[in-house]
Amino acid sequence: MIRLTLNGQPVQADVDPETPLLWVVRDHFKLKGAKFGCGAGLCGACTMHVDGSAMKTCVMPVGAVAGKSVTTIEGLGTPDDLHPLQAAWHEYAVPQCGYCQSGQIMAAAALLETNPNPSSDEIDTAMSGNICRCGCYPRIKRAIQSVSEGALAYDAMTQTEGRA
Amino acid sequence: MNTVNVSRRRFLQSSTVAGGGLVIGFSLTSCSSTPAPLPMARAEGSWTPNAFLQVLPDNTIRFYTARSEMGQGVTTGLATLVGEELDVNPLDMDVRLASTHEDYVNPLFGMQGTGGSTSIRAHYTQLRQVGANTRALILEAAAKDLGVAVSSLSTDNGYVVADQARHPYADFIATAQTLTIEGDAALKPATQFKYIGQESRRVDAIAKATGTAQFGIDVDIPDLHYAVVVRAPVAGAKVRSVEASAARGMSGVTDVFEIDNGVAVVAQSFWQAKQAAAQVEVDWDSGALGRIDTETLRADYAAALNAGDGVEGPDEGDVEQALTAASTVHEAEYWAPLLAHAPMEPMNATVRIDGDRAEVWTGIQFPFAVPAIISRVADIPAENVRFHQTYLGGGFGRRGTVNHLTEAAEIAVQSAKPIQLVWTREDDIQQGPFRPASLMRIKAGVDADGNLTAWDAARAGGNISPDSYRTLLPAAFPWIGDAVAEGVAKLSEMYFEKFATDESSTEGLFEDYDHANTRVTHMTVDHDLPLTFWRSVGHSYTAFAKESMIDELAEAAGMDEVAFRLQNTRNSPRLNNVIRVAGEHMARMNPPEGHHLGFAAHHSFYTDVAEIAEVSVENGKIRVHKVTCVLDCGQAVNPDIVRAQMEGGVVYGLTAALYGGLNLERGAIKESNFHDYPMLRMDESPEIEVIIIDSGTEPTGVGEPGLPPVAPAVANAVYKATGQRLRSLPLQMA
Repeated sequence: MIRLTLNGQPVQADVDPETPLLWVVRDHFKLKGAKFGCGAGLCGACTMHVDGSAMKTCVMPVGAVAGKSVTTIEGLGTPDDLHPLQAAWHEYAVPQCGYCQSGQIMAAAALLETNPNPSSDEIDTAMSGNICRCGCYPRIKRAIQSVSEGALAYDAMTQTEGRA
Repeated sequence: MNTVNVSRRRFLQSSTVAGGGLVIGFSLTSCSSTPAPLPMARAEGSWTPNAFLQVLPDNTIRFYTARSEMGQGVTTGLATLVGEELDVNPLDMDVRLASTHEDYVNPLFGMQGTGGSTSIRAHYTQLRQVGANTRALILEAAAKDLGVAVSSLSTDNGYVVADQARHPYADFIATAQTLTIEGDAALKPATQFKYIGQESRRVDAIAKATGTAQFGIDVDIPDLHYAVVVRAPVAGAKVRSVEASAARGMSGVTDVFEIDNGVAVVAQSFWQAKQAAAQVEVDWDSGALGRIDTETLRADYAAALNAGDGVEGPDEGDVEQALTAASTVHEAEYWAPLLAHAPMEPMNATVRIDGDRAEVWTGIQFPFAVPAIISRVADIPAENVRFHQTYLGGGFGRRGTVNHLTEAAEIAVQSAKPIQLVWTREDDIQQGPFRPASLMRIKAGVDADGNLTAWDAARAGGNISPDSYRTLLPAAFPWIGDAVAEGVAKLSEMYFEKFATDESSTEGLFEDYDHANTRVTHMTVDHDLPLTFWRSVGHSYTAFAKESMIDELAEAAGMDEVAFRLQNTRNSPRLNNVIRVAGEHMARMNPPEGHHLGFAAHHSFYTDVAEIAEVSVENGKIRVHKVTCVLDCGQAVNPDIVRAQMEGGVVYGLTAALYGGLNLERGAIKESNFHDYPMLRMDESPEIEVIIIDSGTEPTGVGEPGLPPVAPAVANAVYKATGQRLRSLPLQMA
């Protein structure tokens, strides 16, 4: 029996500890937001947070996350309560087919957690583990930049000026 | 026999059935003698005026999109068309993905399919008319209910406005459903457009940013079992013997059996099925393809070009004489390799067969094929097959094929369980169907005044149409037997080998420039590789050959690359204008030291695109810094989606230009996953600027046309940077 925290809730699963976390989350806990893309940790479609870090879960045995805290896209925000990155994905019309976007957003959220004001190069480095076949990269970067600390501070400033 | 004498696209057009062409009438099903019930959700007290719209009592406006959403933004685009005339903001609609029904045919195909960058062009008039007629009925009903004249009423985003009071459309649906429309309502002039041509977000973005958009692989039904197929390394190989006792004993495994394409392993979870599949040992009987390597393939193509006895395509004027008379003659050969599509969502389908009924869930470009395929495999009536369309996790042509569906149905029948079949990424990269490889040779002549006078172009490689007949004919004509379908496919193979070019094999190789003397020859060299459409189809390789050649010719003739193109595209005014605008833009660009600009232009899917690639080459590595894309696609219904499609086409094309290439070793594809079949990632993705020219004409394609110019634009820039003319894809420095 593996016990872990999933999106803030304590959960347990009676599964082979070698089963990748991705499949336990998708098939056992029925959370389908994280995707299967390559099965080899090469594309990032399966990205979740494990104790706050972005991890490729298609190659991570569920046994390795026993006792840890796992967050999926479903735990980041919902259509009625969007995370700022999810709102930016809507604002900048980022997704095309959308299949990789859960992974992209989870990678971006982990980046902003540790580096709230990343440079363009830092965004490239943090996001280069996530493939998008539709070519949404320019928009993904723009959306991340729009919710970085600097951009939010700028927005707050202009709003204040607008009111005054 | 008639059907072999045409390209696949023409075949689809000529098989137009009821509902094809513009549907100006209202109850769309009325043109059929026994219309099937509309496959729309039932909602108590709602009004369903046609196959596309439902008005619910709470004033929800539900729109069923007939085209498949694979990222190209078609849900937003079609909702914009209907919303413009219905006067409802597309972002406020409840947009659903339609099941199968004759009212959902693509008017340009005559069947329910999405591809060829047709969707907006195909539905531009139809869906605006659907919106206008629905609004007219609501207004008429409102006038009755309120006891006022229709002329005193207006509408505003789902509300009838009467003397400053706002009444939800839903208030009038009881009366509206008693009314019939006499003639089509008038459509707005473009000057009054409120949504078309405006900046807008996407109707699917929130679902896709929150993990709530459902893809085929996300479908979950009671007792669902998962299947993985052990496949032959060499396409078309048959099972000689199977050793599966280890797999059978593994945890969760319920069934292991042979199917047409290999050995199916069924388990309670995908992971268990995949683990068990790795333990199955199969001895395969590979055919002639088992002797072919990449080098053999290319050598066979070259031998065919050298032999020269191909099939004649367009033949105008006297090419030989024009070449003799030309002051500059240049000849070159270009190579494009086999490619996989690699959509991010691996192929999958979910099938449940229950007695003589079946349900199918998958995201597919050709829904029309689903009932017939399931019916044939499961031996149940096609009308008993219920199809649930999902979002497509990338299409690119790959989801215009149906082999995964056939497999899923076979496995559901044999295992007698509800099945979700999932292809692994390795299956996806190695099994095809592929973008065909091509060897192209062009010899061209320019006169002393810089006029292109002769264009002698040849292409050697496989054709995609026979495989399309093989898979789609049984779906289009369910009453024909498998043997007949195979017979037609074989006939078409012979036909394209001996009598006529498969249009998609040479499209884009010769049409854009004004050369009076033109000869196109095609040599079919078919190694039994499974082939299909790949984003922009033939243009994906012909544009590379043509636009590289044009650059080479301009230099040989001592002319500027843009001036040469302008001078020789006068008969194609829209392309000419795009080249002019892009050329002026390039002249104003000021790249930093070490960066070089390459130019290319191409017409495809009725749209004209020119691209400028800003490139540097350092330590033998090609780096693309920026791509500027200038296009004319007529009316841009959603300009931001047009930009997104150009961005996507550029990245997809650039991935192929820099990295894309599958290699055969004794008939098997050597590459297997993203480590050896790499994709462009964010750190290599260029800045992309898109300039849309508004020519005011009706909309043309955008899903594919952004792709073809990018490879030659980069190759032309690399030449300027290094003096090396790269004529093989992917582009690699010597």
